[in-house]
Amino acid sequence: MEPAKPQPALSATPPESAVSPVAPARPERRTAPRTWETQPVPVLSPHLDDYQSIVGSAVLDELRFLARDLKGKTVKMVNSTAVGGGVAEMLNRLVPMLGELGVVTHWDVITGGNDFFEVTKAFHNALHGNQCELTRHAQEIFLTYSEQNRQRMQFNEDFVVIHDPQPAALIRARQDGPARWVWRCHIDLSNPHPQVWGFLRPFIEQYDAAIVSSQSFARQLSIPQYLFYPCIDPLSEKNKQLEDSFVQKVCDEFGIDRSRPVVTQVSRFDRLKDPLGVVQAFKLAKKYVDCQLVLAGGGASDDPEGAVVLQEVKEAAGSDPDVIILDLPPWCALEINALQQASTLVVQKSIKEGFGLTVTEALWKGKPTIAGAVGGIPNQVIHNLTGALVHSVEGCAYQIRYLLTHPEFAAQLGRNGREHVKENFLMTTNVRRWLLLLQILLRGRAT
Amino acid sequence: MTAATTATLQRTPVKPFYFNTSAHLLRITKYKANTLAELLDAMRASPEDSIFQHTVRTLEEHHFLRAGFSNDFAYWALAACNEPSLAEALASVDVREFTSVAELRARLVQLLEKHLHQDPEIGTRAAEETFYFCAADSVVIPTGFQANTLHEFADGIRRVSVHSIHHHFIEARLRIKLMSNDFSQWLHEDAGLTETARSLNRIDIYTATLEDVREQIVRIVERALA
Repeated sequence: MEPAKPQPALSATPPESAVSPVAPARPERRTAPRTWETQPVPVLSPHLDDYQSIVGSAVLDELRFLARDLKGKTVKMVNSTAVGGGVAEMLNRLVPMLGELGVVTHWDVITGGNDFFEVTKAFHNALHGNQCELTRHAQEIFLTYSEQNRQRMQFNEDFVVIHDPQPAALIRARQDGPARWVWRCHIDLSNPHPQVWGFLRPFIEQYDAAIVSSQSFARQLSIPQYLFYPCIDPLSEKNKQLEDSFVQKVCDEFGIDRSRPVVTQVSRFDRLKDPLGVVQAFKLAKKYVDCQLVLAGGGASDDPEGAVVLQEVKEAAGSDPDVIILDLPPWCALEINALQQASTLVVQKSIKEGFGLTVTEALWKGKPTIAGAVGGIPNQVIHNLTGALVHSVEGCAYQIRYLLTHPEFAAQLGRNGREHVKENFLMTTNVRRWLLLLQILLRGRAT
Repeated sequence: MTAATTATLQRTPVKPFYFNTSAHLLRITKYKANTLAELLDAMRASPEDSIFQHTVRTLEEHHFLRAGFSNDFAYWALAACNEPSLAEALASVDVREFTSVAELRARLVQLLEKHLHQDPEIGTRAAEETFYFCAADSVVIPTGFQANTLHEFADGIRRVSVHSIHHHFIEARLRIKLMSNDFSQWLHEDAGLTETARSLNRIDIYTATLEDVREQIVRIVERALA
């Protein structure tokens, strides 16, 4: 996972000539209130019992039982950043939850100069399949900083979990003893640059186990590889159940008419998310069904290509008042949540995707979801059972029409999708996976 | 209710029923397939816990689906290979007809072989996505619920998770190597309710969610109590 980008200024950007003289009466479209221009104070992590109303007491009892044999054991998590990015966000929730279960978990962050993080960024991109020249100098920088971190840090815990490639060489700190070391890889390894992977692989194979986020990310390795799907926190601002009055307020702010169907895509203005394809699909569908399209995302203010894509999307939307384009800063989690909850359908028409957590979020909210059959999306969207998978603009348009005109079927997809997330992609499921893995490692069963 | 049944209900079951559940961690194996021919090879060579994962365990992972999903092989044959007749054949394999994974594997292999024999070219056609063989490492967990009477048994069924229902009702036959399940075994052997035990075995798990299955079990047990 990449670190979070700097926060852009807020802008709510309706398309040019948004108000058509023939448009039906609708709430006035306004920009976001001033209060949203500052980042909110972080909320405290919830406690395990707070999840009971969502997952049920049996799930929490299972966690407590699994943790029983691990009481007093210690875990060290190591990654490359304490703030920003999905890994830090996940650790912020996981570490206190394991602690609450009696598994004392420390979280440490490696340090390095700009030259180190330039090298690791290049490694990150190369593992995603991008071109890279692996020079001797780059290798030396990587190893030198790894050695500095190895000398600075102590590894006295029973389990050491190293996240992603940046700290992977810390395995050199491993000494003879019962401690178990795990490499948790959050990035797509399905098509890695051979030289860079060849450099990292000898480090990885010294671990006791590796964890990947998708079956397709697994490599041929001499150690066992476990599958941990990315997850969402149902109590986070982005996913908790909101008061309808707040949802209505957000819709009013952005000029969304909840009396008519709302089709939403939440994603950065990035070509790989195909926002232009979504506008085209919407226009095709709108010939037959009345609906509005909300494209909510960010990335246009801090990314030059994002700004170009945003402009292209606005041009494609033209003067259609039913296309509502919102460029939101990253701290608008509650507003994104409200937009998803207000939606009749959610679309994620990606051309390339990691896991697609926006799909997870939509499914969790019980929304009938139409998504591109790429990356980790097919793990979440089982076609015609938990959502609809599409491969083209036309396919997306057809599914919008079909689901809007068959609300009972759409509602069933929504119900199934929510159950699928509850079963497989919630924070509590991930805590269970961690406890299971630690137990398996403790018993020496990882083979 | 017959006099014999009434007498049975009045006595305490020989042994209590302990409700357990199991938790599973997915491990990715080295086997994968990009064609149906490769699927056949991997199906023959992969470890038993992998076959178990893609047939029995996947039912638990998708316990909320009432129809349209039977096992991962069938789903892949349809979604990635566009082979509806093969998908239908594979989907018709009922895991409850087998008391060993070896028998289950043999049946799946037989169906795939038959299909590829009819048109060998199908076997080499590239699938839209790869099938990755996974397996599960499992840990059995006690739930804390225990039944000393039929009333407590019905209450336990109502209160345990659907994973516990799956553990005792579906996974069990591969563990106990009998064409039955833990609930029916207990009802028959320890509570003397042979007909109730048989009724449970007739519940169709492929046209119901696990919540539906739970409700049906409770109804059958309550009928015996009535």
